[in-house]
Amino acid sequence: MSSDDNSVIIEIKNLKKHFKEVNAVDGISLNIRKGELFSILGPNGAGKTTLTRMLTTILTPTSGDATIKGFSILKNKDDIVRIIGVCPQDITIYDILRAEENVEFVASMHGMSKKDAREKTKKILGEFGIAGRKDWSKHFSGGMQRRLNLAMALVFEPEILFLDEPTAGLDPQARRLVWDFIGDLKRKDTTIILMTHDMVEAELLSDRIAIIDQGKIIAQGTPTELKEMYGSDNVLEISFFEQEHLELVKEKIAKISFITHWKEIDKDGNKSLLISFYGGLKNLISIIQQGFTGSIDNVEDLKFRQNSLEDVFLNLTGRRLRD
Amino acid sequence: MKILRNKAILIAIKNVKDKMRHWQYIFFSLGFPIMFTIMFYFIFGIEETPSGFTYFDFGFSGMIMYAIGLGTMNAAISFAGERNSGMLTRLDTMPTGRKNIFLGALISESLFLMFQIVIMFLMGYVILGLYFKGLLELFFGFLVAMLFGISSVGLGIIIASMSKNVQVANAFSLVVFMILIFLSGSLVPFESPIVYFTPPYWAKQIYLQLTIFGDGLNNNLYSSTFIGSSAKLIPIPIWGGLLIVLGYTTVFIFLGVIIFQKKTKF
Repeated sequence: MSSDDNSVIIEIKNLKKHFKEVNAVDGISLNIRKGELFSILGPNGAGKTTLTRMLTTILTPTSGDATIKGFSILKNKDDIVRIIGVCPQDITIYDILRAEENVEFVASMHGMSKKDAREKTKKILGEFGIAGRKDWSKHFSGGMQRRLNLAMALVFEPEILFLDEPTAGLDPQARRLVWDFIGDLKRKDTTIILMTHDMVEAELLSDRIAIIDQGKIIAQGTPTELKEMYGSDNVLEISFFEQEHLELVKEKIAKISFITHWKEIDKDGNKSLLISFYGGLKNLISIIQQGFTGSIDNVEDLKFRQNSLEDVFLNLTGRRLRD
Repeated sequence: MKILRNKAILIAIKNVKDKMRHWQYIFFSLGFPIMFTIMFYFIFGIEETPSGFTYFDFGFSGMIMYAIGLGTMNAAISFAGERNSGMLTRLDTMPTGRKNIFLGALISESLFLMFQIVIMFLMGYVILGLYFKGLLELFFGFLVAMLFGISSVGLGIIIASMSKNVQVANAFSLVVFMILIFLSGSLVPFESPIVYFTPPYWAKQIYLQLTIFGDGLNNNLYSSTFIGSSAKLIPIPIWGGLLIVLGYTTVFIFLGVIIFQKKTKF
């Protein structure tokens, strides 16, 4: 996709942010299309929040630039803040104000009339299940505060929405509610940039995903493309008592045709092997038969699962998203 | 009412709601000075000075400045809280503008200052029956007190900028404020050139001479609160003192905004 493509709404050009010795964001370039839900997936500390803060004009980049709807984050901050909605990772509300006071305040800051602000507030709080609460927000549960945090970003129906870990700390029911709401926004053609380390969330909601690690994009594509590029149908994860046993198995499986990738994973000195392969149970049995003949006692643990974005990340970095 | 939809006004309204819902804040800003006023009244109030006024007629000007000076702490806590809660950053992602944030804070702090002064006036002049020259003089005194209050807000913003969190801002502003108040001779009058370096001295002295003596702008200021045998006229007239308070206010607000911006824009 070229930068003059009309559908590109966010164009990030070699964006960098360095804090003393740390390269929090290290030369990220990306194009995000209008109306798409684009996820930035990465572990904690990967640079997601720093990237969001630069794109939302809070943080000035060390170098590089990005344009949002043609406005530069360096030169046109005032224009950008008019069209973006931001839901920060931390719950950021006035806890001494009521839910509707918080939301109405944000609506007013975006120039909505009192009548409109009140109507939209009522509607959105109803959708999030916090309408009618007359007590101060500090008395809300964590989940309710998080929903309020999100409602504040959505009340003025922004064209572009930045969601930084919007479901962190939510119970499954509230999480589902937020996902449904994000789905609705997507259907309304809102461009959504979702920062998450939750692979289920990313896989379920995203049109495209960029995987970020140590400030760099290490892979991008649709969830299906990523899984195809860096894995197969299924994954077998095996940990061994001794390193030499792992080497032995590696040699044996090297010739198996339906194995597409394998990767050694090291966590706290314990090595395990991640094997991606096509096919189902038949091929699994075949791998076990060929790879572990006479050495099954050396296996400490064995996990079999469908290939997921977690495995893509494992294949790319040798680490888990939550490590 | 279009003006009520102005962003600075909306921020001010939000700030006032915030203040009014913290009973500790109300107690600290109003209850504390009232408590001190009553205490000082019963300790010094009845005794008359050689000039015919009671000691507390003179002492009340210091109490007013003490009450208003608490604005230093209030502003420090308020700004540090806004920054640390992340709301300031969130506001930066909206078309609000720092100008409106500062203006809104200044409006809300000024409204609260007015409220504080009115409460102190009711306490001193209506309930305790302290002397004042006339309503016009009292009104001028009110304006001086307001000006001093705004300088305290500026000082509070400077302190908030340099504090890591609300607790530090609270403690730091209390130390700065109490030192300034004591060194100015507002609570316990004393004769020393050091008083001239503190904003409360000038505000208190102008307020006192306006509201008790009905002095004009060209009258010279006295060296201390108790305008008795030890107090001397200093070569600075009331208008000069006003310029000094105005100078402090301008410098504090200007520096406060600059430092706060520098510390919170990345």
